[in-house]
Amino acid sequence: MFGYEFYVDPSRCIGCQSCVKACEECETHRGHSMINFDFIDRAETIETAAYVCWHCDDPTCAQVCPADAIKKGEDGIVLSALKPRCIACSNCVLACPFGIPKIVPEYEQMMKCDMCYDRTSVGKRPMCATVCPSQALAYVRTEEIAARREKPSNVFYFGNQKITTQVYMMTPSGTDSVTLDITEFMWEKANA
Amino acid sequence: MALYSGSQQIPQQRRGLTAIDAITALIIILLVVQIWLLSATLDAFLAGHTETALPGAIVSGLLCAGCFAMYEFVRRVDRDARPNR
Amino acid sequence: MPDGAKTTVKKQEPLWRDEFSISRADERYVSRRQLAKFLTLGSLGMFAGNLWILVKSWMRKAQVYNRSLVAKVGEIPVGGVKLFQYPKPGEQCIMIRTADDSYVAYSQKCTHLSCAVFYSREHDRLECPCHQGYFSVQDGSVLQGPPTRPLPRVVLERSGDALIAIKMEPEV
Repeated sequence: MFGYEFYVDPSRCIGCQSCVKACEECETHRGHSMINFDFIDRAETIETAAYVCWHCDDPTCAQVCPADAIKKGEDGIVLSALKPRCIACSNCVLACPFGIPKIVPEYEQMMKCDMCYDRTSVGKRPMCATVCPSQALAYVRTEEIAARREKPSNVFYFGNQKITTQVYMMTPSGTDSVTLDITEFMWEKANA
Repeated sequence: MALYSGSQQIPQQRRGLTAIDAITALIIILLVVQIWLLSATLDAFLAGHTETALPGAIVSGLLCAGCFAMYEFVRRVDRDARPNR
Repeated sequence: MPDGAKTTVKKQEPLWRDEFSISRADERYVSRRQLAKFLTLGSLGMFAGNLWILVKSWMRKAQVYNRSLVAKVGEIPVGGVKLFQYPKPGEQCIMIRTADDSYVAYSQKCTHLSCAVFYSREHDRLECPCHQGYFSVQDGSVLQGPPTRPLPRVVLERSGDALIAIKMEPEV
């Protein structure tokens, strides 16, 4: 979009949470960060991962919204829920395969990353990509990302469902799509 | 997609929306004329001048036909701009 | 598609998905198309109104008026009024004695919004208190105010010392 693409590489994330703080700075949603920041397995490892909305081509959140609040703009960006329409029913929270939308109870509103549309539409980079020191979140031209060892992929398989996104995930070269079996991660360790 | 520079790159969707806006404005103008015509015909009828009823109805019919024609054009623009329907 | 998103040829979408599209641009199309449709139906309504007037004007029969005694000569003083009902009970009319030998009568329903007009001796005119519409006593024409049509006149005939209402002008 706009000549640039957004690339996410969780292996580069150092857990500084600059992206979380930078996102919070935005006037329109000050104090609430839209970054989904995860500690992978905090007891065992210091690994972290930061995610933004993947801006799917056929957004599941928009399809399941009963209030028709989530819209996809002309540039392919999936916008956050429209304030007059969102009823905070959490349908999108449950439906998103990546777990991106969050309900903010005090506003009774769903809020999610919208790729800093107010910035990207005028040629600036999103806040998170601007501040990420390791460029785990990168908003660059396609040529610049080709220099990396990992290769970008925007095709995901969740079981039988194929999802294509605008945001790219950096994957080991040779992988052309990311396959995820959610049930694998639901197994709780016995007596953990 | 690139940022658009200059009007020569107005995307198809935006052109369609502008066309629909223009047609809606025209429909509103015709509608206003029709509203006035109805009030004038009614006033003349109540005052006993029945000769205005027929020309008033004919012109109102023409205006209504014009509105319908323009609405059909709106539908055509919509079909052209969103072909998946 | 111009926005560069992946386009897959979908099977025909159900109507509700099309009318409540998740794409912002599509939604604009739909809402504007619906507005144009609503306005066009309004236009059809106006045309129907005009047609109704046309039909009413064709169906109008020559009205037959009955003769009705209004008052006796000299019953009211000069500048006085008498209220009566003509041609049917419920149709309020007002008679004014403008001079010694001159009587006029009109329908009392103001042609603007049907308030009852009254005779103002001070200004020698018929006044409507609701929106200050004034009518001339001589012929019922509008002097000022919102009304556009003149007051319907009751034609009086003098028969001996009786004043008879014989018809309305214009025919209502």
